[in-house]
Amino acid sequence: MYVIVRAFNEGPVIRDSLLKLRERFPLTVVVDDGSWDNTVEESLAAGATVVRHPFNLGAGAALQTGLRYVAEQKSPIVATFDPDGQHRVEDLVRLVDMLREQQLDVVIGSRFAGRTEGIPWHRLMILRAAMLFTAATTGVRLSDPHNGLRVMTGAVARTLNLRQDRFAYASELVAQLKTLRLKYAECPVTITYTDYSLGKGQKTSNSVRILFDLLVGWLMR
Amino acid sequence: MIIQIFLSGLLISVALFAGLQRTSARIIRYGLLVTVAVGLVFVWAPDQSLVIARKVGIARGADLIFYTWVVLTIALLLFLYLKIVRLSRTLTMLARALALRDPLSPAKRSE
Repeated sequence: MYVIVRAFNEGPVIRDSLLKLRERFPLTVVVDDGSWDNTVEESLAAGATVVRHPFNLGAGAALQTGLRYVAEQKSPIVATFDPDGQHRVEDLVRLVDMLREQQLDVVIGSRFAGRTEGIPWHRLMILRAAMLFTAATTGVRLSDPHNGLRVMTGAVARTLNLRQDRFAYASELVAQLKTLRLKYAECPVTITYTDYSLGKGQKTSNSVRILFDLLVGWLMR
Repeated sequence: MIIQIFLSGLLISVALFAGLQRTSARIIRYGLLVTVAVGLVFVWAPDQSLVIARKVGIARGADLIFYTWVVLTIALLLFLYLKIVRLSRTLTMLARALALRDPLSPAKRSE
């Protein structure tokens, strides 16, 4: 099984994060989204394969690149994991077990079914609003659609086609769960917010951008 | 009379440019041609703008032209933005193809 790790200027943390991850999941591909720090060198030093965007394209574009890469490797199971310290490897193990045991197509982590540590109130409000918005626009009710910890079958990874380059991809992915008639479930996970991850993560203002990108995507269908 | 000739020349140039643009969507080309035709009518028969303005509940012909200009500008901006998004998607596919062509692995690095 392959784990896709998207990274943009994650030099200070990515080596430790990958070393922990690769103890359980050795096949890891880092999609470097045009970093200008030492993310690539640190990822290679941790033993990961690196696919490098020539310039910054966005989180959704990086995920789609990772999906294309693992599709070429014919991986039976594919996971996504953030390197900024928010995700836990033991949670990923439980997601994989759930996918296998319940014969699902996709399992998505949920911090609201599980736990969050150190989440600021405004981030919480935005995630709740995103949940309501995604449910209203896609008809898929997930408690945490913007959770980056996901596991899917290789067949799903080959089928998904994310056209949203930035953070709006999360809503697009949820919409494709429905259009592709996939069997999905949520798994409780713990998300730990640190000063580093809060500095790296989505900004509050991004929510307006996500709405705008989704509207443009809808116009271009 | 000078300004009317100048504006007419400008509008006709726009029409010729739109007609020659084979890559533009047909609706955009036709939309531009209609806009130019209406513009020419208003340039040479400005009283007509007042007649139409009154029919749609606007007091002055100049206001009608101003409102129309605002709407057309917004439509044009939206069209240009969508075009940029399409180009951006093409660029993403190109960048992805480049990235996937040459993945880096620790083994390659040590060679």
